[in-house]
Amino acid sequence: MANVKNKHWAMVIDSAKCIDCKACDVACKHENGIEANGSREVYRNWITSKGVEGTYPNLKQRFEPSQCHHCANTPCYKVCPTSATYKNEDGLIMMDYKRCIVCSTCIAACPYDARYVSKQKKAIDKCTFCAHRIYIGKLPACVDTCPTKVRVFGDLNDPESEVSKLLASRHYFVIKPEAGTKPNLYYLT
Amino acid sequence: MSTLIGSAIQNAKSSFSPRGAAWALWAGVLVIIGLAALVNYLINGHDAYGTSRQVPWGILISTYVFFVVSSTGLCLVSSLGHVFGFKQFEVIGKRAIVMAIATILAGFAVIATEIGYPFRMLIYNFISPNFTAAIWWMGTLYGLYLLFILLEFGFMMKVNHKYAGYAGLAAFVAGIAAHSNLGAVFGLLDARKWWSGPFLPIYFILSAAVTGCAIVLLLFAVRYMKEKMPDNVRDTMLTISKLFCFLLGVLIFFGIWKLFSSLYAGAPGKYEAMMALINGPLWISYWGFEVFLGMVLPFVLILATKGKHLGVAVFAAASSMIGIFFMRYNLVVAGQLKPMRYDPEVVNASGLVSYAPSMTEIGIVLGGIGLCLLMYIAANMIFNLDADKHH
Repeated sequence: MANVKNKHWAMVIDSAKCIDCKACDVACKHENGIEANGSREVYRNWITSKGVEGTYPNLKQRFEPSQCHHCANTPCYKVCPTSATYKNEDGLIMMDYKRCIVCSTCIAACPYDARYVSKQKKAIDKCTFCAHRIYIGKLPACVDTCPTKVRVFGDLNDPESEVSKLLASRHYFVIKPEAGTKPNLYYLT
Repeated sequence: MSTLIGSAIQNAKSSFSPRGAAWALWAGVLVIIGLAALVNYLINGHDAYGTSRQVPWGILISTYVFFVVSSTGLCLVSSLGHVFGFKQFEVIGKRAIVMAIATILAGFAVIATEIGYPFRMLIYNFISPNFTAAIWWMGTLYGLYLLFILLEFGFMMKVNHKYAGYAGLAAFVAGIAAHSNLGAVFGLLDARKWWSGPFLPIYFILSAAVTGCAIVLLLFAVRYMKEKMPDNVRDTMLTISKLFCFLLGVLIFFGIWKLFSSLYAGAPGKYEAMMALINGPLWISYWGFEVFLGMVLPFVLILATKGKHLGVAVFAAASSMIGIFFMRYNLVVAGQLKPMRYDPEVVNASGLVSYAPSMTEIGIVLGGIGLCLLMYIAANMIFNLDADKHH
């Protein structure tokens, strides 16, 4: 595993580029071996339609991709009774499946609805930013597969990274800032 | 040991009655329904439940809350006598503590069917505890609480009042701490605005005291259904009915301010949850059961009879217990109906998600109630739960 101590992983999302093709969802499920088996509740990332904007004929449909926000102030981590949810040194919020008792408190605590019960894992599951890939120098599957490059992933501690440059040069927002979760998913305006 | 078992068997034989057998039979039927539901759960897992990604906690969580609120309430009310020294309340001690044990065990049984992997909990609660989790504190403190009330009951049966008092005090402290942590399991979830804040840990303690009074009234009404209630017991019950009425008044006061504060500013999360109760999918459960049967009717009945009519007080207690069951359900479900994000697949036209308990969940709830009654009936047959003569 690469040295992750000084990393601060983040994802920058340019929603305007999203075409709702759902390749991110497919790539995520394939990469992480997630079998939904027809369940509409089993997914780690999703795309929300934000509706039609503008007036005819200048209309625009906007979509908002999302997933676990890997919050710095982490509600799901605080409420887990058995420490099944834990934080890596680089801030990634991870699951130790064997410790999870499926009390679902983390599901109730997450303001982003990023968690679900996984029958496969016999535990609660969520996005890991594809930790197994990024530690060998690859990008998360959803980032890698996106045809319009909606998602940009990188290290905020590196001023030369694309995520750092984007956040330095563009306006952005986070979802539910009032929740005080300090999320690591940033949306460009 | 053999003497104890012998005397227990002797007690059971001598206290056998057709009425007791009929109660046991009904409780047994409920347990069988619960076991059938349990088998379905073991085969189909959480698919057998009505819970979902958006509403992960359903009627089994609310039933667990109902049982542990009852247990804590019984402990609080019984503590008035043998912990705080109000002599009048000493007559209720053993019976209340036995029911406190039965209710908490039934609560544990019900929540074991909601938690996906309860055996992992027993291991990892010790190996990798998370001290910032209210649910860890709740579980651990309730474990201690159970130990203390078992000790308390043991000392009571041995007529060792000194140690029963110590164990009772420990149970009182553990019960208050555990129960406020149960409130904190909800109250510390900042994402769920209707729950979050200091209200629930405090409200749960008050609510427990109300429930404790109601159950004590019912227990003694059943105990003396076929024979005359001794005067000292009757006096105690009338005092408890007044305490019950007073606490109901405070509970109504809490409820009114919760309602106003949830609606006043129209704050997202709080507003929708409250509206779901007063004019949404839970309105019957809220107005009919929680407000009318649970609080207003019993409060008005006892007030109207000035707390002097025991029969009315017992009826009020029964009404209140039915309402309180729905009160727990409303609390758990309403707090989750406003989804964390808008997903058109699951959100209805009013912007809420939905939850309805499945037959399996209802079966387990009935089984939990049956188990609780069966444990109490068994204890009532085996042990002499009436006050010791010198009282």
